[in-house]
Amino acid sequence: MELAKIESLLETYFDGNTTLEEESTLRNYFANEEVADHLAPYKSLFAGLSIAKEEVSQRELQLPETAENSRRMWYSIAASVAIVLAVAGFIFSNSGMSQDEKDALMALNKTKETMLMFSENLNKGTEPMFLLSENFTTGTDALVAINEITLTANKVLK
Amino acid sequence: MQQKEFLDIILPVKDKLFRLARRLLVSTDEAEDAVQEVFLKLWKSKDKMDNYKNPEAFAMTMTKNYCLDRLKSKQASNLKIVHNNFHHTDNIERSVEANEGVEMVLRLMESLPEKQKMIMQLRDVEQFEFTEISEMLEINETAIRVGLSRARKTIREQLIKQYNYGIS
Repeated sequence: MELAKIESLLETYFDGNTTLEEESTLRNYFANEEVADHLAPYKSLFAGLSIAKEEVSQRELQLPETAENSRRMWYSIAASVAIVLAVAGFIFSNSGMSQDEKDALMALNKTKETMLMFSENLNKGTEPMFLLSENFTTGTDALVAINEITLTANKVLK
Repeated sequence: MQQKEFLDIILPVKDKLFRLARRLLVSTDEAEDAVQEVFLKLWKSKDKMDNYKNPEAFAMTMTKNYCLDRLKSKQASNLKIVHNNFHHTDNIERSVEANEGVEMVLRLMESLPEKQKMIMQLRDVEQFEFTEISEMLEINETAIRVGLSRARKTIREQLIKQYNYGIS
């Protein structure tokens, strides 16, 4: 490219009126051509601008969890809560049951005691009955004897 | 919008955002932080991003605003921006060995006023059209051309001065 053309492009460039295409022409020219001494600073300028574009971010991007991840997280939280509730409920209701069981056991024991007492008293009650039945038997024995006496008497009388 | 879709749009822009942040904040670490912050903000408002016809410009505007805010709060707390990691950037350093003038250009760019710095970064480094730069920086095209011309001329003056000094 003619030197005069480059010089006029440079003027337009410093006035802020070059197009992107013209600016790329300038960059290429100064990157590849041997330039006249008075244009040497521009070689540095365009080289510097090109190099400035080579610098890149080194740090990995860290985004918070995605929508799907957060939804999954909420599901797992809900699941954990459900499990905790279930276990807690089981434990609480279980201890309630054992309280009931205690009550039931106590009631059962009370009933047993009562039944035992009742049966003891019942036994006490049956003892006189035995006596009674014994006496009754003695009574009937006597009656049998009386019957025999009557029979003998009848025989005698006949 | 799903993460993949979001990243498809935003990842190709990442390095451009980083370089703009780097130009404004100078520190590589702070520029990386800025990119991270801007991406988080973009991610939070990703559902609104469908409404923007140019997500790249939107992301660039957010980066610009974030960096300018950072600079403002730094000035307020009297913190100096330390130009400490200029030599730690491998690819620049390697090229600098080949051409000392290149490092000078980058250093001269750092000394430009913020608006000119951003304009020159977006035009001469990233090669955006004036309409795009206008959208990104929320400045009209005429003002952009004026700022760009001033920035380029400042760099030229300084470069020529440095060259003459080197020769004489």
